[in-house]
Amino acid sequence: MMESILVTIPFGDMIHYLSGYTGVLFGFAAVFVLLAVISLPEKPVEIVFGTDGYSLKETPVDLAKFQRFMAIACGIATIGAIVTGDIFNFTLFAAFIGVLNIGIVAAVKNKHVLSAAFSYGLVVMMGTVPLFAGAAIIAATTGTLSIWELAAAGGVPVIAKLLLLIGVLGEGMAPFYIGKAEITRASGAPYILMIHVSSLLLFLRVVEILLTV
Amino acid sequence: MKEVQEAKDCPAKKARGTFAPFQKLSCYLSTIENLPKLYAICVCLIIVFGLCSVPFISYEEDQLYPKSLDPSSSLDPYDRGGVPFTEPAVIIAQYPENAPAIGYVTAYLTPLSQFLADYTFHLGTTIVAHPGGILDEILYYTRGFDTIVEASILFCAFAIAAFLYRRSKE
Repeated sequence: MMESILVTIPFGDMIHYLSGYTGVLFGFAAVFVLLAVISLPEKPVEIVFGTDGYSLKETPVDLAKFQRFMAIACGIATIGAIVTGDIFNFTLFAAFIGVLNIGIVAAVKNKHVLSAAFSYGLVVMMGTVPLFAGAAIIAATTGTLSIWELAAAGGVPVIAKLLLLIGVLGEGMAPFYIGKAEITRASGAPYILMIHVSSLLLFLRVVEILLTV
Repeated sequence: MKEVQEAKDCPAKKARGTFAPFQKLSCYLSTIENLPKLYAICVCLIIVFGLCSVPFISYEEDQLYPKSLDPSSSLDPYDRGGVPFTEPAVIIAQYPENAPAIGYVTAYLTPLSQFLADYTFHLGTTIVAHPGGILDEILYYTRGFDTIVEASILFCAFAIAAFLYRRSKE
């Protein structure tokens, strides 16, 4: 998988790269960042049952601004996780995405959504432990953190891969909570999409890493 | 309290008294309060597996970022050697071609820091606490991008906390 490298961006010991596979993921994430930049918050319509009456919910400007900031930052963190060529850097970006997802979910002022955000926050906090433990075990057993070197040398223990996978699972569990909290229909709708995008891309990227190293 | 309990139950449970094991499982999973518990159990299982596999994994002696401690040095635990501007410190990099100034960052000390290092034993505990304090090359040069991302995580966490705090005051 390492032979089809299109671009490399060196940052000292960390060499970011785009292969054909991650290039597609990068394009996908970039499109959604652009959508978050240009889109305005949706106005949900509530129909009064049994009558013709309806009400429009306005999203407060400060809430919309905050959610847009979080969505754009989440998209950029996702791009970082996609292009990075370093295991520890990847775990940092995964933790970053988890924190930003909490921010997007917790910004909505609704009891159900906030209780879902609390549960998700617990999972994210738990998820960072196996995530960084996985990176630490990789550094201890192979002596390096670069995905390039690991792809050439191999020898990453199964437990480190499992810890990395379960950690990303915890960070990317947000869509479960949004589905339950019905937040996609709550105010601030377009920015919520970024949670799905970041989780999906994070999973696709971690699968690529685990198959490569 | 009863209402809260009912809200947490899934609709299938309310409709019928008895159901198949799969329905029970689906009922359990669809209650979001159960997911942290379930996740914690998965993490525990993997950690137990990891503890069992400890005898089969070994420490690699040839580490990219080695750490040596010299308690007698005033720069301990960040003493990596070198003289400012003239002699670089001994730093190993994964890709030395990307780090042309390797060794000079760690070796650099301002006159004040040099003075403190000469007369006290505690400069190593103030890694960046004052201008020209010890700059750890691995943190700020070869792996500097990590430090940027770490700072960004902190910044965003503070932004979220500030937003929620201000909203709670409204």
